[in-house]
Amino acid sequence: MKIMGVGGGAREHALAEAIARSAHSPEIYWVSELRNPGIYKIVKATGGEYALADTKDAGRIADLAVKWHVDMVVVGPEEPNFHGIPDEVERRGIPCIGAKRSLSIIEMSKAEMRRLQWKYNIPGKLLFKTYQSYSEALRDLERYSETLTWLQNVALKPARQAGGKGVKVVEDSQIYLHAEKQEFKERHMRWLEEYMEKYSDIEEKILVEEKVWGPEYTLQCFVDGRTVVGMPLVQDNKHAHEFDIGPETGGMGSYTGRDFLLPFITEEEYKRSIEIVEAMVKAIQDVTGEHYHGFIAGQMMLTEIEGPTLIEMYSRLGDPEGVNVLALLKTDIVDIFEAIIDERLAKMKIEFSDEATVVKSLAPKGYPDFRSLAKGHPVYVNETLIKEKGCKLYWGSAHLGLDGSITTGGSRLIEILAIDESPAKASQRIEECISLNPVKLLDGWGLFYRSDIGSAEMISRRVELAERVRRLYKYREERGTLGKRIDWLPKIGRVDPVASLLKELSFRR
Amino acid sequence: MNTPGILGIYPFGLGRENWRISRFVYYGLLALQHRGQEASSIITLGDDLHVESRRGLVEDAFNEKALLSIPGFIGVGFLSSASNDSPIVISSPIRLVLVGDGMPLLGKDRQSAWRAFAELLSDEISRTGNSLKAAVKLVEEVNGGYSFIALTEDQEMLAGRDKYGIKPLEIGSLGFDLGAIASETSALDVLGMDHVLSVGRGEVVRFDPYSIERMRVRELPNPAYCSFEYVYLARPDSILNGIPVYSVRIRMGEILAKETPATADTVIGIPETAIPFAIGYSRASGINVDLGFVTTGRRVRTAIKPSVFERLMGVQLKLNPIKSAVNGKDIILIDDSVVRGTTLRNTVWNLKRRGARRIHVRIGSPPLKFSCPFGVEIPPPDELIARSLSEEEIAEVVGADTFSFLSVNGLSQALGLPPSNLCLRCWLGGVKS
Repeated sequence: MKIMGVGGGAREHALAEAIARSAHSPEIYWVSELRNPGIYKIVKATGGEYALADTKDAGRIADLAVKWHVDMVVVGPEEPNFHGIPDEVERRGIPCIGAKRSLSIIEMSKAEMRRLQWKYNIPGKLLFKTYQSYSEALRDLERYSETLTWLQNVALKPARQAGGKGVKVVEDSQIYLHAEKQEFKERHMRWLEEYMEKYSDIEEKILVEEKVWGPEYTLQCFVDGRTVVGMPLVQDNKHAHEFDIGPETGGMGSYTGRDFLLPFITEEEYKRSIEIVEAMVKAIQDVTGEHYHGFIAGQMMLTEIEGPTLIEMYSRLGDPEGVNVLALLKTDIVDIFEAIIDERLAKMKIEFSDEATVVKSLAPKGYPDFRSLAKGHPVYVNETLIKEKGCKLYWGSAHLGLDGSITTGGSRLIEILAIDESPAKASQRIEECISLNPVKLLDGWGLFYRSDIGSAEMISRRVELAERVRRLYKYREERGTLGKRIDWLPKIGRVDPVASLLKELSFRR
Repeated sequence: MNTPGILGIYPFGLGRENWRISRFVYYGLLALQHRGQEASSIITLGDDLHVESRRGLVEDAFNEKALLSIPGFIGVGFLSSASNDSPIVISSPIRLVLVGDGMPLLGKDRQSAWRAFAELLSDEISRTGNSLKAAVKLVEEVNGGYSFIALTEDQEMLAGRDKYGIKPLEIGSLGFDLGAIASETSALDVLGMDHVLSVGRGEVVRFDPYSIERMRVRELPNPAYCSFEYVYLARPDSILNGIPVYSVRIRMGEILAKETPATADTVIGIPETAIPFAIGYSRASGINVDLGFVTTGRRVRTAIKPSVFERLMGVQLKLNPIKSAVNGKDIILIDDSVVRGTTLRNTVWNLKRRGARRIHVRIGSPPLKFSCPFGVEIPPPDELIARSLSEEEIAEVVGADTFSFLSVNGLSQALGLPPSNLCLRCWLGGVKS
């Protein structure tokens, strides 16, 4: 059997490793933009081949799949999905694990995702508005500043998935800092408009969404067009720095708890979350008439408005969250892929080992906002030391040169995984490993990572946060006001922002 | 009685240089104002370093125009009750500015001790080329009870605490943009920030444009958190070292009621610090609590006013009794601490003149007998009434029917920490803790 993978990050390294573990002993072929040292090693060990190519070029990727006579293609990242790699590969008669272009719109367009959710009335929604330009957004915010009070506390996002970048949260609830925050809002929307110029595949550029607070978690699933199978919950940590401070990244580290749950999420909340993801899959299949084959994930938050709430969707595994779950997966992944292709996941028993995992990312200084600084540094890694300390290494944004040297690609360089009975213990194990400096940049440029991920301190903070949020949404649940936004304004009277949004959406349709 | 307030705000990410940080520092300092009312400083770093040190309250020292004229996107704030206290600026070998709370044991007074500390820091950074290691080395070697925030010419912000964690320091975060360090969480709250954690004792946290790193001294002694922070210095809405100040004060009142019960019609706390103590005393004793006083004018903390005249002025303004709450009643009057007894004597007689019958004075802390080796401005020992007089004698002087302090054990119980984990030097003197 021959399997080809697409994408060159740590998530894809973990995928390649899971495929290599299969009892089918497949020959593994791979294509990505940089030569990932970890994937390269696996590919070579199975007798496969590795090619460098633009993974957004559907024709080129499909050509390689045909040339290598592979039995299936597995897509790791989102951009190949957005560019129709699964569509083209299947058109050439090769089954593909990856969301087709029209299905992956639920990730590509954050606005389409949200509209779909409102249209099908799927729980866990947020109020939103979209704009094509900065000036349009500004005019609107001005116009509605008195009547739509939610516009004061917002998340400003690129309307298209843009590499997990560009999200800013502005809570303008201290009147004395209003001028600073207003200025900041304007500046960021202007920046978003410029940043989005490079994406020509979408009209809407700026998404303004109501700001929510609460603990976040990711629910990743296998989908075969009929059945959605949930994996253990993972918590990813988006802030670049220690203590949840600093800019948004693709994820600086993640952990799983035991029994599919996180220490701050209940079984009932898991159930509601998976119902949301299932409903979204059904909705997007309904709209497109396509069958969804591959991975899907809900990036969720427990909010006071509705409890489990959908923040964004991934048409793939998360990175680093994918590394956590693949490390726990006991079932042969190739069997799962075959079941997805044949649409018989419902009959399959998928098992994960009941242990906790922690993943921590190491990135060169400069990531995420000043990537040119983070790129091109020579890397030294002592893999034996990492193994000796009971940890595992996954290569991320790195390039293996023909001379065997490795240089940084500018994004997260390496992810280190540990498995133990609790996140705190696994976190501690990684700390011990990293304290021995197993990863260095040979030119002396600094690396950074977050020591707090998975620690007992972090988890108790998340538990405390979840308890406060739960108290609020349970209160709403008791009163039957879950998901309702109730407001009364002097001289105007009762205001219902949900009704105004629905009116706007139906007008659009 | 006072200790400075310090604050640092640091933006991250693309566009970080667009923040005008002065107003954030201003409002953060407002929430730390109780820690010092004689000198206010706003320091910013952008294209250049700006150090603005002015006399008086933050509100008086900086108006809107002044704030708008201070550029810079990294900000540090400093407050003190000594008008000659100011941020330390070192120009070489490494240019840096430093603000500190408490005192490293490197000099006779706070200003000279902090200057020596800042000079050592500058030298050490220059010698090692690593500001984080340099600061940790200093924390390892320099004894004292202190916390500091330093800003270097390389846009690095260092924040650290002594090995025992005597002086507090807390960390906050705002959105994907700002990180902050402050003496108390009240400053983080007012800025709309999430309080994330305390800086650990013996730990230095370094913010640079691309990362946050933290490092701790190798050998960590037992903690010795300043107990006076919980009794008086900190705001009741602050959480220090994971312990909420308000809950501690409530418990102190409850324990006080158990240790030294009294029969009375009502419990009254002297504003504002002693009000939670009175609530606690009331809960444990079952005696109702009343509002006994109304304050006039701005909030003034009498204990930290420098001159006797101003202090007495302060008492008149601060503590106007509510006659109908006290007339004809037996009262348990609670204060947080007693320094000279002047304020208390005035207050007791004021109440009696308004018709109060018996007054049982209860103090939410042990007898204050010693000066603070770490720079909390406590009057000299010969001005401390508890050093010279017994409880019975104090009762006589202030005109109370009975008078008692909280025991040291009661204090430790209220904090939920053994005495060995607290700094108790102002109550017990230079005993080993």
